[in-house]
Amino acid sequence: SRSRSKSKRVSGFDMAPPASALLPTATAAAVPGIGQLPGVPAI
Amino acid sequence: CSRLHNRPTISPTLLLCNMYQRPDMITPGIDAQGNPIDPRQIQEHFEDFYEDIFEELSKYGEIESLNVCDNLADHMIGNVYVEFRKEEEAAAALRGLQGRFYSGKPIIVEFSPVTDFREATCR
Repeated sequence: SRSRSKSKRVSGFDMAPPASALLPTATAAAVPGIGQLPGVPAI
Repeated sequence: CSRLHNRPTISPTLLLCNMYQRPDMITPGIDAQGNPIDPRQIQEHFEDFYEDIFEELSKYGEIESLNVCDNLADHMIGNVYVEFRKEEEAAAALRGLQGRFYSGKPIIVEFSPVTDFREATCR
């Protein structure tokens, strides 16, 4: 019989944004445009 | 692209916008921290992603084809096109994926007019 030794990774589905990305001190690597946009006042 | 493509109300093909993000998306071969990445690692990352979405999308129906853009250019970056055998399956997947997250990013899903990927060029 064939067995897969490689354990299954956790799927990325339903992985919510990390809490750090929601803080204003998010790392520089954080990609902009994710999640909710901050309220931009209209001119 | 800048052209206004028509968005069909129903199609066997779905477009998952900007879903795949290469680990070296900022600079080719370099990760976000500035460290070089082994090309094998990038390949593995891609395969893991492909496996994830294939598995999830299979829950909604039979997949005819699954295309992932792993490009670095802005155009269509990270777009995933999935063609189901039946339109109803695509519709079920669209409903099932809307409002969910993948790897911390919201999933943006819509019907795509593409039904034949060999012919899929912007005209």
